[in-house]
Amino acid sequence: MTKITPQFEDYWPSMQQAISKLLHQLDVSKLEWQELFWNVHNVLQWDEKAKDKLQDALHRDVLEFISEAQSTVLSHHDDQSLLKAYVAAWSKFFVQCNYLPLPFAPLMTNPNKSSNTKNTINEENIVRKLMYSSWNENIFSNIKHRLQDSAMKLVHAERNGEAFDTQLVIGVRESFVNLGSNANDKSIYIENFEKAYIESTESFYHSKAAEYLLSYGVQSYMVWADSKLKEESTRGAKYLEPFSLPALNDTCVRVLVTNNKDLILSECLGMIQGNNTNKLNLMFKLLDRIEEGVEPMLNYLEEHIVNQGLADIMASAEIITQDSEKYVEKLLNLFTKYSTLVKEAFNDDPRFLTARDKAFKQVVNDTSVFKLELASRPKMNNGQATKLPPESRCPEMLANFCDMLLRKTPLSRRLTSEEIEIKLKEVLLVLKYVVNKDVFMRYHKAHLTRRLILDSSADNEKEENMVEWLREVGVPADFVNKLARMFQDIKVSEDLNQQFKNSQNGTSEIINIKILNVGAWARGSERVQVSLPLELEDFIPEVEEFYKKKHSGRKLQWYHHMSNGTICFSNQYGRYDLDVTTFQMAVLFTWNERPTDKISFENIRLASELPDAELRRTLWSLVAFPKVKTQIILCDVPLKSMKDFTDTTLFWVNQDFHLIKNGKPQRRGKLNLIGRLQLSTEKSVEEDNEKIVQLRILRTQEAIVKIMKMRKRITNAQLQTELVEILKNMFLPSKKMIKEQIEWLIEQKYMRRDDDNIGVFIYMA
Amino acid sequence: MTVNNNNNNNSSNADSSNNNKLFSLKKWNAVAMWSWDVVSDTCAICRVILMDACLRCQADNKQDDCVAVWGECNHSFHNCCMSLWVQQNNRCPLCQQEWIVQRIGK
Ligand SMILES: [Zn+2]
Ligand SMILES: [Zn+2]
Ligand SMILES: [Zn+2]
Repeated sequence: MTKITPQFEDYWPSMQQAISKLLHQLDVSKLEWQELFWNVHNVLQWDEKAKDKLQDALHRDVLEFISEAQSTVLSHHDDQSLLKAYVAAWSKFFVQCNYLPLPFAPLMTNPNKSSNTKNTINEENIVRKLMYSSWNENIFSNIKHRLQDSAMKLVHAERNGEAFDTQLVIGVRESFVNLGSNANDKSIYIENFEKAYIESTESFYHSKAAEYLLSYGVQSYMVWADSKLKEESTRGAKYLEPFSLPALNDTCVRVLVTNNKDLILSECLGMIQGNNTNKLNLMFKLLDRIEEGVEPMLNYLEEHIVNQGLADIMASAEIITQDSEKYVEKLLNLFTKYSTLVKEAFNDDPRFLTARDKAFKQVVNDTSVFKLELASRPKMNNGQATKLPPESRCPEMLANFCDMLLRKTPLSRRLTSEEIEIKLKEVLLVLKYVVNKDVFMRYHKAHLTRRLILDSSADNEKEENMVEWLREVGVPADFVNKLARMFQDIKVSEDLNQQFKNSQNGTSEIINIKILNVGAWARGSERVQVSLPLELEDFIPEVEEFYKKKHSGRKLQWYHHMSNGTICFSNQYGRYDLDVTTFQMAVLFTWNERPTDKISFENIRLASELPDAELRRTLWSLVAFPKVKTQIILCDVPLKSMKDFTDTTLFWVNQDFHLIKNGKPQRRGKLNLIGRLQLSTEKSVEEDNEKIVQLRILRTQEAIVKIMKMRKRITNAQLQTELVEILKNMFLPSKKMIKEQIEWLIEQKYMRRDDDNIGVFIYMA
Repeated sequence: MTVNNNNNNNSSNADSSNNNKLFSLKKWNAVAMWSWDVVSDTCAICRVILMDACLRCQADNKQDDCVAVWGECNHSFHNCCMSLWVQQNNRCPLCQQEWIVQRIGK
């Protein structure tokens, strides 16, 4: 049976015409275009062999077109015109590779498969593949090296400032990418074009960088290198496939930065010294492109801050060891300077912030200018005296400065409330870097005690704010709570004083009492006996009687070293009010019975009943008070040291004592003789230092037990690390102390060493 | 004897009454510390110093309400601690005598 069915040969001539037009980029009408689709469809419908025939015919036509192109392209002998001709031909062909396959889509339809295989059409378009591979075999593969070389020459020329049609390079790259054995295989591109591009980049900058460094020096080089890195990244985006960019970047960084790293770094210290933030910022940006690149910069910064800080402090050691305000000011200038540097030069990068903090910590805790020696007498655990390595006096200075701000002083009067607040916050900033915060706390508490007892706080609200700020900077809660308790307690005591005054008449006018909870203030501190003026002695039982009615189960102890008052001194010049400690009062009142006598040290001691050391201190404050021209008491030894007083040294009242204001003698006036006399005894200062040591030992023991309980088994190194972490807001335990406490805890059978490994400890329940 | 006689109860009068003396008193700020009148500082039940509030009151910030209690045996504890203790065992934790409150601090 023969049937007239459409044959391939019937359709081909008209199809061929359309195909040829498409290949040559001639106009194809809409009708012709649609017809091509229709014809392909028909011919495949009716002619079983049409698929092969169609492919063969198409191949032939493509080849024919390509060989035309080939002869046009290859007729150019010099590389530049070859490249131009090639890219022109390729660009046309490349476009057609996207159109021509469309009508032939049915060629790809596998009748066995459903239509959802369409997704893969693009990838495995056999017509396009046919077009590409023909192009590759006939034109590209023969000249690709020449094309590539020409393209690289153009890029090179562009780097030297020549402009050209960028499409020339892009066309070559497209050829490399598209002419692989399949759509996903980029290996031909990678092995040829990308490799050549990166290699030529490297060799270009290899020589350029050396040249530039030689002629312009490192600082200009950095500017240049930075701009070249940007330029090459833009250029790479134009001429390379996106996936090639990281490799290109690595190469650029290597040749422009890594290879000259040491030269660049050699400028770093000088720039830090010169506060060259812009240049440092550039250096940071460059070196941060390399792994570990900024590490040396961190070291330079840290070292410089430490050296500068210590040099500053050393240079003005004499002033700042005496003047806490100047000291804090110096430190803050240092902090501000380098915090600004880290911000401007290093964008507050955390690594640089850490280096800055490490340096500040070292400066603040340095012991070369100030030393604080802490030691405990042999009473703790194993009967050995614990002596700690010397520590920085910084925390003491900070506490002193806080006191100047919080107390009524010329400084606190001069500053506004806001300024005081700013300065207190600055102190807290420095405190953050202090390793042994417990020392600050001890002094701060002593000063606060003094301010509250003497009613000398400049601003009560600020006092209480300070407590909360201390909490915020991580001062341990139990310490902060103790301070808060002192404020509570002083309020309770004020109420009590009022009740007392209401219950009395007469004496109550001149007498105020503060009865405080010993737990909040001064547990276990030493008291000193003194013989009170008679009128005051009588008053003591009255208070005790009053207190007994209010409370039960309580015992009272008088802290005369904390009490104080105002006395009036009269002589021929006038009448002067003197603020005095009770000890000073007891000494001065000795003369009430014999106003013009010269009295010996020994007799004053008998009258006042003060211990030798306290009497010396007290008398010294009366014969050598720094703020007055005429002293209230005179003596018969030269005023060199309170140690020069002997039992027979004579003291008498200076009848010529008077106050001078604006060069004129005053008939009336007030003088505060308490001055810097601490409301504590000689011995208690020593005891306080000792208490710090004992508390450290105790805290260290507690912390070790706590860690052992949790870990059960721990290496020595790990134990030390965790210990430092737990104690960090109080103090830094010394290696020696840790070792001693571990030994002690082992002796006490809280823990033991592992039998197999002495570097491991085991908790014993 | 008192410093002033009762008729002179303002300080300028006090001044004049002491005119004859070299040094005369105008004001005295006396400081005393109170503590519980106890034999042992530490509460044997919670092991906190008696002058500090017991742990419970510290946590509740009721420092001022936490008082000491004394038994007939003269041993003393935080009142809070002892009140809980006697619910379990009506003997003094230190001497095992029957617990009879002698007084409560205030
Ligand atoms: Zn208790
Ligand atoms: Zn309680
Ligand atoms: Zn008992």
